[in-house]
Amino acid sequence: MRLARANILSRFWGNLGVITLSSPSIAIVGSGPSGCYLAQYLRKAFPDSRISIFERDPVPYGLLRFGVAPDHIGTKAIAQQFERLFKRDGVEFIGNMEIGKDKSLRELRNEFDIVVIATGLNEDRSLGISGEYLEGIYSAGRITRLLNSHPNENSEGILVGSNIAIIGQGNVAIDLLRLSLLDSEELRSFGVTRKISDLMGKQDSKTISVIGRSPIEKAKFDITMIKEISKFSNVKFTSDIDYTKIIDEDSKQRSEAINFLVTHSPTNAKRIVNFYFGWSTLSFFGSNRVAGVDLVSKQKKMRISVDTVYTAIGFQEAKSASIKKSEHTSGKFDLDRGFLDDGLYCVGWFRRGPVGTIPVSRADAKHVSDAICSDYYSKMQGKVEIR
Amino acid sequence: MSKNVVILFGTESGNAEFAAEDMAAVITDRKVQVFDMSDFSSENFESTNLYILICSTHGEGDLPSGAVPLYESMKSLKPDLSDIEYAIFGLGDSSYENYSRGSEHFDALLTSLGASRIGEYGRHDAQTGTLPNECAVTWTQEIIAQS
Repeated sequence: MRLARANILSRFWGNLGVITLSSPSIAIVGSGPSGCYLAQYLRKAFPDSRISIFERDPVPYGLLRFGVAPDHIGTKAIAQQFERLFKRDGVEFIGNMEIGKDKSLRELRNEFDIVVIATGLNEDRSLGISGEYLEGIYSAGRITRLLNSHPNENSEGILVGSNIAIIGQGNVAIDLLRLSLLDSEELRSFGVTRKISDLMGKQDSKTISVIGRSPIEKAKFDITMIKEISKFSNVKFTSDIDYTKIIDEDSKQRSEAINFLVTHSPTNAKRIVNFYFGWSTLSFFGSNRVAGVDLVSKQKKMRISVDTVYTAIGFQEAKSASIKKSEHTSGKFDLDRGFLDDGLYCVGWFRRGPVGTIPVSRADAKHVSDAICSDYYSKMQGKVEIR
Repeated sequence: MSKNVVILFGTESGNAEFAAEDMAAVITDRKVQVFDMSDFSSENFESTNLYILICSTHGEGDLPSGAVPLYESMKSLKPDLSDIEYAIFGLGDSSYENYSRGSEHFDALLTSLGASRIGEYGRHDAQTGTLPNECAVTWTQEIIAQS
């Protein structure tokens, strides 16, 4: 740790002799992976700074706690790194405090030398098509919050049937597929409440259609996520991939991962998973509750009967977000460095949009931490006291 | 005289770095340095040091991105490491294929360049829901006692 600081100092001053520095006070808004990784880097750079993390939820870790699937316990364990920030490294956690609502950003900026927005993007992107508000259609964010026992999420009105469509083929969609194949007891073993595990864990007979707009070569899932699904031996998998059209190496690997599931599954099973690639969702239909989904691929149309839909097509800024990006991206901002204004920065999904896994957030936090340190030291350069 | 220790970590999510810091903290009887593999060059190996590598596994049994440049440069420059001793600890998740494979790439390369491994091959399985720290610290103490 001391080494990291010394490196930064020598980079900026060379051999100026012994110097003393004031340590900037730092507030981070949001305690998800980006906010916590940033706190780790800034703590190493400024061992004596007051660093506080503000969080609107009562508990820390954001999407690591409420977005990561409960059965991905290896990923969940990263929270144990962050615990040390609060337990040993003197970073302060202030929960139940929404900046922009409970306390203004202006006030926070007056209190702290440096403020960093790490609030992410936490509203499910909507499809914007007809029938979207029928009963039985649920967003991935809501479902993963329920699976992870979010204190402000409730299961009111949720009824999971046996004929499910998952719209989207990113990693969140594949999470929902995998979690939909776990029985209630397995879900409970990963900490899911009895109520939610009973809702999602019925496994007597089930058909799940996983529908993506992209063709297989552009499907968003990571191949490891598909390989993980192969642990379910009593599920019949099908896909509509046209193998004659697969040419390049990456799409070959993607289609082979799906094909492995298909060829290694039994011909008959009570549970069936159908992968549909290259189909745009046109509309949902039904009188009160969703009864089906209309799809289109090039000139072809297809109708699938379903009683439950999960939408997992990504995240966006909530209309009700208390800190909006557009309010901070005028003037001298430089998003490449996470710079919004003097003493105001941003990191993570707020900075670069809703893409990238947890390791990407770590690299992002490093990048923004370097920018913060470099700005701080150039600002302090005129004020350094040399003994 | 016992060798100084250089701990090299290769990480994606920070777990290997986090464990490396705890490993360094329990080595009290000799000089110890910790480097991110991305800040370490293949010409830096010195026979007066014992190298302890801790490396995670990324994607399909691949190296974490921070470890790739060092691996690639060792592979192409082929430094003679016949007087180098190392110990290695791998991170992985047994629910995936290619469990703990990331570190094995380094082990194979170091061996092929003549370096000799000491002690048990350390492993931590993320499927336990724990971080590697505790297990890596115990393992480090055993390695240090043997070296």
